[in-house]
This record gives sequence, C-alpha cells and structure tokens, in this order.
Amino acid sequence: MSLDIRNLHKNFAGQVALDRINLRIEASEFVCLLGPSGCGKTTLLRCIAGLLAPDRGEIRLAGRDLAAVPARERGFGIVFQSYSLFPHMTVAENIGYGLRIRGAESSRIAARVRELLDTVKLASYAERYPGQLSGGQQQRVAIARALAVDPQLLLLDEPLSALDARVRDELRGELRDVQRSLGIPTLMVTHDQDEAMVLADRIVCMNRGLIEQVGPPEELYARPRTRFVADFMGHGNLLSVDWLQDAAPWLLDTRPAGISDAGAVCLRPEHVGLQCDALGEGQVTDFTFMGNFKRVQLDWKGRNLLAEVPARTRFERGDRVRVDIDARDCAWVEA
Amino acid sequence: MSAGFALPASRLPRLASAMDDRWLLNACLWLPLAALLLFFVMPMGFIAWRSFMQEAGGIGLANYAALLDTPGVWRATRNSLAVGASTTLVTLLLGFVFAYGLERTCMPGRRFVSLSLTLPMLAPSLVLGLGLIFILGRNGIVGKVFGFRPEIYGFHGLVIANVLYALPQAVMILRAALRGADARQYDAAEVLGATPWRQFRDITLPGMRYGLLSAAFVVFTITITDFGNAVVIGGDYTVLATEIYNQVSGQMRFGIGAVVGLLLLLPAALSVWIERVAAQRQAGSGADGAQAPVPQPHRLRDGIYAIVCVGLSTLIVAVVAIVVVAGFIRLWPYRLDLTLRHYDITVSGGYASLWTALWVSLLAATLGVALLFLMAFAVRRLTGWPQRLATLLCALPVGVPGLVLGLSYVFAFNQPQLPWGVLYGSAFLLAMCNLMHYYTQGYVTMMTGVRGVPVQLEEAVGVLGGGVLQLLRDVYLPAVRVTLWSVAAFLFMRSMVTLSAVIFLITPMLSMAAVTVMRLDEAGFTAQAAAFSTCIMAVVGSVALLMHVLTTRAAARG
Repeated sequence: MSLDIRNLHKNFAGQVALDRINLRIEASEFVCLLGPSGCGKTTLLRCIAGLLAPDRGEIRLAGRDLAAVPARERGFGIVFQSYSLFPHMTVAENIGYGLRIRGAESSRIAARVRELLDTVKLASYAERYPGQLSGGQQQRVAIARALAVDPQLLLLDEPLSALDARVRDELRGELRDVQRSLGIPTLMVTHDQDEAMVLADRIVCMNRGLIEQVGPPEELYARPRTRFVADFMGHGNLLSVDWLQDAAPWLLDTRPAGISDAGAVCLRPEHVGLQCDALGEGQVTDFTFMGNFKRVQLDWKGRNLLAEVPARTRFERGDRVRVDIDARDCAWVEA
Repeated sequence: MSAGFALPASRLPRLASAMDDRWLLNACLWLPLAALLLFFVMPMGFIAWRSFMQEAGGIGLANYAALLDTPGVWRATRNSLAVGASTTLVTLLLGFVFAYGLERTCMPGRRFVSLSLTLPMLAPSLVLGLGLIFILGRNGIVGKVFGFRPEIYGFHGLVIANVLYALPQAVMILRAALRGADARQYDAAEVLGATPWRQFRDITLPGMRYGLLSAAFVVFTITITDFGNAVVIGGDYTVLATEIYNQVSGQMRFGIGAVVGLLLLLPAALSVWIERVAAQRQAGSGADGAQAPVPQPHRLRDGIYAIVCVGLSTLIVAVVAIVVVAGFIRLWPYRLDLTLRHYDITVSGGYASLWTALWVSLLAATLGVALLFLMAFAVRRLTGWPQRLATLLCALPVGVPGLVLGLSYVFAFNQPQLPWGVLYGSAFLLAMCNLMHYYTQGYVTMMTGVRGVPVQLEEAVGVLGGGVLQLLRDVYLPAVRVTLWSVAAFLFMRSMVTLSAVIFLITPMLSMAAVTVMRLDEAGFTAQAAAFSTCIMAVVGSVALLMHVLTTRAAARG
C-alpha cells in the first residue's frame, strides 16, 4: 500500500501554501514533513487526511484517487498536538470509538482496546478519564485510538511538541517501535529536526510551500542541496564561491556542474579540524561549553567560522589555531 | 500488515455517504434561521411598514408628521430623556464604585455585595418600584415612622428604581472591562515609578473606555424602554414607554406607535454598535495570557469601598426584601401582624397567569436551547452566505427593546387574515417573543460554549469515520452540556420576569405573571401585588440557585 501525491497545489486567499508537491510514501515507511512554521507542512498533512481540499493535483492511495473521498471514509488514523481526546469518555471508550462508529461487535472492540492498551503501555488506565492523565499518557491514548481502526496511513501532526523534553524523548522511541512493529505507513509533521532525524526513514524538508529536498536523515544532514536545508538541518558554515577563491581554492575543484557562482559550500562544524598552533591563520574569538563538546567561533581568513571540538580540548579566547578542512566533508548547495 | 489487527479494512461496514451529512448540516442552520426570519425579521418589517401606513389611508409620512403635533409624545420624550440621562449618570458612577470595589480591592463583604446584585435580576423590574413605595411612598414605612413623606412618585422615584434595576447590568459590564486588564502593565508602571493615581489615570481609565461607553448605552436603553417602573412609580410623569402603550392600546393609534417604536431603536442600536467596535478594539489590544491584577490589601481604601458598596447593597436587599415582607403583613405599614391572606388572590385572574408564565417560560427555554444550539453548531461548521446571514441576524435582536418587539408582534400577528395570525393570543407566540427578546444574549453564550470545542477533536472524529450526527452526539453535546443548561435557565428566568415585550401580547385569556403584578398594583391591591411578586421571585430564585449548584459542581468536576 503506498500513497502517491502528484503536483499538489493549494492557495489561501492568494497566498501559496502548497506548490508543486510530489511525494510518494511506501508501505511501512516513516516519513517526516519538516520545516519552519508556515512552510505548508500542516496544510499538506490536512490535504492528505481529507480535512482540506487541494486546489490542484491528486492524491492516490494504492492507485485509487482520494479526491472524492471525504476524511471519514479514508480510513486513516490521526494524532494531533493536543486536545483531541473526548473528555467525557474513558481511555478505553476513546480508543474504541472508531470501531464503535464502524459498528464492530463489543467483544471485538474490547479485545482490540486491551491489545492497544498493552501496545501503548497503559493497561491499567482503561477506566480513567483523559483529565486524569498526564500529557504524555494522553498522547499515547490518542495514538492508540488512531491505531485501533487499523489505519491504512497514520498521520501525526506534531504529536510530541506539547510535551516536556524528557517525556518527548521517551515517547519518540516508543512511537518508532510501535510504527516499526506494525509496519503502518506513517507521515509526521514536525518543526524539530532532531525529532525528524531520530524517527524518519525519509525526511521531506519544506519551505514556503515547496519541497526543498527529500531523503534519508543522513543525506539531508551531510549532503543538503539548498542553503535552506543546510541551515535548517543543523549548524553549519556556508562558504561562498567568492570567499573560497581567495581562502580555499582547492575546495572549488569539488564543485559539481550545475552549481552557479551563487552556490556555496556547506561545512558542518564537527568537520572543521582545529589544532593549537601559534603560527595558525585562525584565531579563537569565542566558545561555548555544550556538555559533550565545545562550540568554537573563530576568525579565519577574514570570515567567521563555526567549529565543534571535544569538550576536553583546551582553548582560550585569542588562541591561534590551524584549520584543516577535508574536501570530502563539503557539500555544495544551490543558492 | 500486522497480524494483531482484529478488523481488516475490507470487512468494515460502509459508512454513510458525505452527501447525507451536508443535508443534515444545512437543516441545522435553516431550521433556526427560519424561526429567526418569521419571529424577528418579519415583525420588524411590519413595524417599519406600519409607520408609513397612514390612518387616512395610503402610504406616506403622515404618521411622522402627526408625531410633531402630538404634545403628549413630546412631553414623554423630554421626560424619558431626563430620566434616562440622570439614571445613566448615577448608575455609571455607582456601577464603577461597585465594579472597582469587587475587582480591585480586598474590601470585606464582597460575596454579599455580588449576591445582592443578582437580586434585581430575579424579579420583574417593577418590584423595585413597588419596594420603594413600601418604604418611601404615601403609605410607606418612612412616612409612618418619621412623618416625612418625600415626593417619590414621578421623576425621583423613577430614577431610583431604574438605577437599582440597571445597576447589576452596568456592574457586570464594568467588571468585565476591569478583568480584561493586564497585571504586567501595572507592574511595569510601578517599576517605572508611577503613583497609584497615575496608574489609575493612565492604565485603568483608558482600559475601561469602551466598557463605560457600552454600560452607558445599555443603562440608557433599558431605562427609557422599561415599562414596569414607569407604571408603578411614575405617577403622572409620563415617559415614552407608557405613552407608546397609551397610543397603541388606549387610543388605537398604531401608526404613531410604530413611529415611536422605530425611534426607540436608535439608542439601542447605537449601544450595540459601540459594543461591537469595543470588542474589536479590545481584541487587538489584549495580549496573550494577560493576567488580571490581583489586589493587595489596603486598609483605608478597602474600608471606604466596603462602607459604600455594602451600604448600597443593603439598600437593594432592603427594597426587594420589603416587598416579600409586605406580602405577609395585614395592612402595611399600619397593622403589622402576619397573615397569608394576601396570597389568596382572586382578582385580576388570580394565579392563572403564574402558571401561564411558567408554561411560556419553559417553552421559551426549551425551544430556545434547541434552536440556539443548532444555530451555533451550524454557524461554526458552515461557511458561505447563509452562515454569514445567520451570524448577522443573530446579533440584531439585542438592539431591539422589548417594548418595540412586542409592538412589532402586534402588527405582524394580530392579523386574522394572514396564515400566521392563528398564533396570536397563543402561549407559543409569547414564548417566541420572549426568546427573540433575549436571543442574542443566548446566542453569544451558546457560541462561547461551542467555540470551546477543540477543532482537533472534531477533526479526529472526521478521520475516525464520524459524521454530523456523531459530531453532535460525541463532541458538541457533551462539551456544551453546562452551557445548554445555563442558556435554558437564562431564557426561563428572563421570560418569567419580563414585562415590556409581553404587555402588548397578553389577552384576557392569557396573561403573564409580571403583568398581573402590574394590574394588581394599578387596582390598588399592593399587598397582593407584593405577594404575587414573591411567588415569581421564589420560582426564579429556585432556578437560579439550581443553576448555581449545577455549574459549580460541573466546574469542580473539571
């Protein structure tokens, strides 16, 4: 079962929300829509869910066009950021709701609910009300409710964003485990690139209604194709062609065909090699202790450069350093 | 797919098609919308039409011209303006003191003060006039004890009674305005070195601008359109409300009545407009997560506020309480032994009108809750012109004083030759009139309740396979249950005590409780009027108490 999105467009009062969206989600794949707020990722998710009608383009599930299929008949599961449980129903009733709508037998519902309560580790909470649960537990119930109807696609709209950091980490792992064991194709919207990297098989990085790049997390991090992706996926140095011509001409040889002079090299800070050297051309201007590493600002050949070194490395402000850059660590990005 | 799934997708029963749903959703809108068109828009159309229908025949402005040489109307207008302006001024001043005392001081007795402010809402407005007469009137307790008989009938009595009647509503608006303030502004001003007086002038007053303006218009409108007090304590001092009644019911001059009715729309419409502008302005200024300032104890200030507010509250309680007491006294204020004989009411139709009022109020509450709930649901779910039309129409009834509404019903429904003429003289029409009278307030409350329903929950139901019926049953009804009860209680209580709208619609066969109180008082049976008022207050008070218990319990449950 795969989901195919072809050439999707959506405008809101003249504002482009989705532009030429093409995307395919394979069976049992976990895909993350990643981007800043307003990039169109939630709009795309809502179009797929059937909560919003696209202006143009098509969405197909296993070859079947979904345009005329309302949300209630798509058979998907959805989990929102918060506030989506029925406050007057118990946890068990919430989870069984979709099956009740479909007129399933009560014994079958009860069995399914028990099974899912185990899956989300809330077996002893069946008779509680949502108001008596923590935020993390409520989201587990929401996930169980979405899974109960055996969805053909699981849609997650920032399901972890309203949670505390620790709970978020824990639930992140569980979400990944559940998705892997059930093999349900899943689409998650998030603005947190760490979350996307931990969870996703593939990340869809979006900006201003356009898909900037699609690929596995490692690829988007190490080989971003645009400035936007390079910026959004983590810290980095963007070295312009002009500057490289004076400072590091040997890196220009790696420039692939098709990258104009407006392009740049993306160099992740952990790939900037630093050695204390009184004759070095770099000078440390500032550094921040980050626990397991140090983030160092330096002045090198007329520009500011960001580097990350093991925490135990000793630097003082004003120290001279030698800077080593390996051309293999550099990724060329478009303008 | 995992083997753990108990229900393969192919075996799920097919869900109802989306087309059935659209139909249902539209019905939710059109049913209440049709009621609004028939029982509000049409009567208003009739009153406008009648104002151009000349007594001599034909269509023209003769009624408007006739108004110029009807001296009674001009005197009544002058008097109404004088009473309205004085009442507004006094009410705003006192209302501000009350609101500030309740919201921004730690004065003792706040519970008593806010409780006393609910009393005038539980009774027909004329009960306040009645109470004043028992205290200060010709046969009042003050006259008996001190031999001092102030001229209470007329301007002064009218102003006092109206102030007592309008005060709770003014306090409500002003308190809301005070609550909308942000403590951080005061903290910032304090840190910057502003004195309390400066903070009051620079933060408190500007923040209350619209609240004050809106309260002023509300007070002015209810004062000049109030009927009960004008009859009970107005004496020979005629005002517009009584004059319009005389013109229509006494002299059968319907054209003049229609013209004056339309003129009475002006101040009310203005107040509605100001409230809307205020709401928009305030919406822009309110920062997210604004925290209302928490007052710190301040002995002198708290003491002064306590003396003023508790003193005035005691007066309100006394005015209402004296009515209850007088109903049990053999001959107020001369023979003070207790008796129940005033409760044996046989004149003016006896208790029949109380049962009618109960029935009409129940009808208004039930119909109102059903129509308003469907309307609020549909307005939230639908888009397009019918939804915009409904939103607009729902906001209009608050701009129409009860007096004008009642008059318009006479024009629209006292028409035996038209199909809807059969409704005239029925309890159903009285119920609809009362519902339309308080429609907007009920709608706003209902909308607030409906807006509290999380969008995510609705969408979750949609994705899980639910339609309009499931939305109503599993999301909306549970979420707004308490709102439904409070709207029902509000409509019931208002319907029990209102006089100005129904005064035109009652017939010898079908009278309302508040009208009976007025008739008893007019006929000189003041003790019976007091007894009858006590019965009304007992009913309305019980409902209010029940509602209070219900909402606090619901709030405690979360």
